[in-house]
Amino acid sequence: MKKIFIFITLLPVLVSFAQSGAIKGKVITNENEPLINANVIIIGTQLGVATLPDGTFEIKNVPFGKYTIEVSLIGYGKKKISLLLTAKTKPVTIILTEEAIQSEQIVVSAGKYEQRVQDLSVSTAVLTPDNLSRKNYLTFDGALRFVPGVQMNLEQVSIRGSNGYSKGAGARVLVAVNGIPLYSGDTGDIVWELIPVADIERIEIIKGPASSLYGSTAIGGVINIITRSSVKNPVTHFSSYIGAYDKPAYDIWKWNNNTRFFYGVELTHSNSVNNLSYTFSLKKFDNMGYRQNDYAKRYLGYLKLNYDFTSKNHLSFFADFLNMNRGNFLYWKDSRNALVPKDEDNGNTVKSNRLFTGLIYHHSFNKDFSAEFKSSFYHTKFAGYGIELTTSTADLFRNELLTNINLSDSFVLTSGVETSYSIISSNIFKSPNFFGLGAYAQGVWKVNPNLSLTLGLRYDYMKLDTLKSANAAAPKAGLNYKITKDFILRASLGTGFRAPTPSEVFTTAAVSGGIDVKSNPDLKAETSISFEAGAIYNYSKNLLFDLAFYQNEYKNFIEPVLTNEAKIQFINLSRARIQGVELNADWFLVPGELKMKAGYNYMWTRDLEKNTAMKYRPLNSVSAQLQYSPYPFEFGIDFRYMSKVEEIDFNLTQPPIALVIDGDKRVPIYVTDISVGYSFLLNTVPAKIYLNAKNIFNYNYVEFIGNIAPIRNYSFSFEIFL
Amino acid sequence: MKKIFVAIVTLALFSLIAGCDKGIEPEPIKTGVTGFSGKVTFIGNWPADIKRTHVVLFKNAITTSADFFPPNLSFVIDSIPYRTTSFTYNSVDNNFIPLFTLAPGDYKYLVVAQSKTDVLSLNRKDWFIVGIYNVGNDQSKPKTLTILDREMTTGVDIIVDFNNPPPQPPM
Repeated sequence: MKKIFIFITLLPVLVSFAQSGAIKGKVITNENEPLINANVIIIGTQLGVATLPDGTFEIKNVPFGKYTIEVSLIGYGKKKISLLLTAKTKPVTIILTEEAIQSEQIVVSAGKYEQRVQDLSVSTAVLTPDNLSRKNYLTFDGALRFVPGVQMNLEQVSIRGSNGYSKGAGARVLVAVNGIPLYSGDTGDIVWELIPVADIERIEIIKGPASSLYGSTAIGGVINIITRSSVKNPVTHFSSYIGAYDKPAYDIWKWNNNTRFFYGVELTHSNSVNNLSYTFSLKKFDNMGYRQNDYAKRYLGYLKLNYDFTSKNHLSFFADFLNMNRGNFLYWKDSRNALVPKDEDNGNTVKSNRLFTGLIYHHSFNKDFSAEFKSSFYHTKFAGYGIELTTSTADLFRNELLTNINLSDSFVLTSGVETSYSIISSNIFKSPNFFGLGAYAQGVWKVNPNLSLTLGLRYDYMKLDTLKSANAAAPKAGLNYKITKDFILRASLGTGFRAPTPSEVFTTAAVSGGIDVKSNPDLKAETSISFEAGAIYNYSKNLLFDLAFYQNEYKNFIEPVLTNEAKIQFINLSRARIQGVELNADWFLVPGELKMKAGYNYMWTRDLEKNTAMKYRPLNSVSAQLQYSPYPFEFGIDFRYMSKVEEIDFNLTQPPIALVIDGDKRVPIYVTDISVGYSFLLNTVPAKIYLNAKNIFNYNYVEFIGNIAPIRNYSFSFEIFL
Repeated sequence: MKKIFVAIVTLALFSLIAGCDKGIEPEPIKTGVTGFSGKVTFIGNWPADIKRTHVVLFKNAITTSADFFPPNLSFVIDSIPYRTTSFTYNSVDNNFIPLFTLAPGDYKYLVVAQSKTDVLSLNRKDWFIVGIYNVGNDQSKPKTLTILDREMTTGVDIIVDFNNPPPQPPM
């Protein structure tokens, strides 16, 4: 019957040509990894096969002619290609890109063990690396600007309003690589350039306090970067980009007649020898900057080793080194000289070296009990050349022992202890040391297939140099209830805390224009109580909604203020409150080809002492991304909006101090980016090119006073997998 | 195809909003000078050991000791020499703290203050108010000084009568 049907279907073709052949090819990932069990069908016929373990396929006895074949695999975007089958037709190579359509397919380890997104009790977003290469973000933080609920104030990340801006001193979002925190021992800042973008498998973003598992810095949320797992076959990835900034929107802003370029080149190689797999990467990326004295010259080296002792035990080691030499643009001269620094700051530079290493040993005792030991060392050294020489060297050591036990089929217990110790030698933070000890336990009880409860508690002890020691307990409770498989409710209630960083307590340095930073040894740890209720609704297999209400109450919230002595000092605000609602939608309009993501966040923030909005927090923000991928092309439009922030550091912008002239100039943010990509084979090797235009309307805005954000720029990038 | 069209149009609409506006613009060039000027006249004998005497401008009246400092403290005129009988000043030539710039607006408390400390003190208790820019020669009724954009407000005169000191704001 089947043969008769095929005969009838292909009759016209048979009549025309009366000759047949085979369509052969291979289906691979972006990283040249073969994909098994991908479905390959000839559209309009019943002919099709599944790919073999090496990714190859062959559809035999196909009459010569013109066909469109469609390749699909769960978790990957569909691809269609057209070909003309003749006696000379060569095998085709088809590249599939990872694409999670529904939450049930996304697995995250944000809870310190692997869970599906649909089982979590907190809001979570997951980014995949194709997002990074498609947009050619110059540094990792560029991708975060388009995540709903995530805001970047220059280099400082904020999740649902957790952070304002404090020149990198003290973060409320924990950034981790494979669960190992990446904050420096002195300022507690995140250096985005250090992140090994070429080795990223996925990025998990927990939008809400996670102190009950991760401790102090996670009071505002967690960004956990998961690196790729071991490869079986050698993979070499080469990428390069070059771009340039357009002319400023106003002639008066033009400060240089030369085109301002940015460029980078990166080579990554992965392979395995018996049980040892390795990845190494070298990268150089420079940016001349669109502003005067805002250049950056950077080298990044990355090495990762993984050794499988047995199928149950493995050891991973990674080392990440960054050398950076950059100009230090603090504030514009004034709005008529918006791309030029203040005269006294012009020529300021910062030189830094950073080495981040981590060691992870995983041991599975049996299917129900596993343990992981994580050890890390983060060395940072910088020298700032400006009004005065500022130097700091910090060494941060961390150790963590983590266990996961399935106490029954329905109860998972995650527990661990961790220690951290940092030594600082600095002429601006004094030379304090820090010791921290934490212990945590979290149980997830699956009451029935539809209901799971989470209960967790973490205790921390902290001692910052000569200051009185502090301790904190952070309990948390969560709930996940699946009304149907497509409608899932979640809720969580917990407390968080954050110890002040050495830089917030001890900094004594000149900033600019006669303004000094003053130390505050009386600074206390801040605490929070947070609540979130949310829902995921899969309207159809191609349309997903995620809605969340959240409220965070802070006590002793740490913020920089201008004191009566005209000095900047970090102090404890008595109380602050953040309330909001966030709605996200993922819509696959044409599965495999056209998808749209959109998010809206309404956020009401209040300094309850002054009854004013909190600084640098927008009331409304919107992001929308549209991606159309008719193979081998990709087209993307990305748009984001943030309402004008109500409160800024007015003390720095208004008389009598007026350190930043015209510094209160701020506007709503509208940014539109477009990208075009093309995939092709370069002698059977998959390659891609991308053209990007960012801030296409050349819209001028600031994320922080006196700092115009990047003006319109264009870039061309190229990558190849050998 | 219809879905693609709708999606592109939706996003294009958002983008168009952005395209209509250029965002932050350079501030136009300003001409003229924003400031104030006047004369301080001293009556009676100067107290002993006075180390510094300044005309000091505040945005609002001093109700707590914290109001004695920025941001309420808005401008300070150069120190007036000891035992001077009259002193003519203007905020352009006599700006004691170059870091301070004067913004247009209403200022509700302009005084002459003296201190006996060798170095400039920022403690409220180290200062004594000896004269107030006032209404109808009544030292208890401060007069609001209005500063206009790119205009020099003249005639901002203050009489300091050492025999009749004004009421002191809270320490």
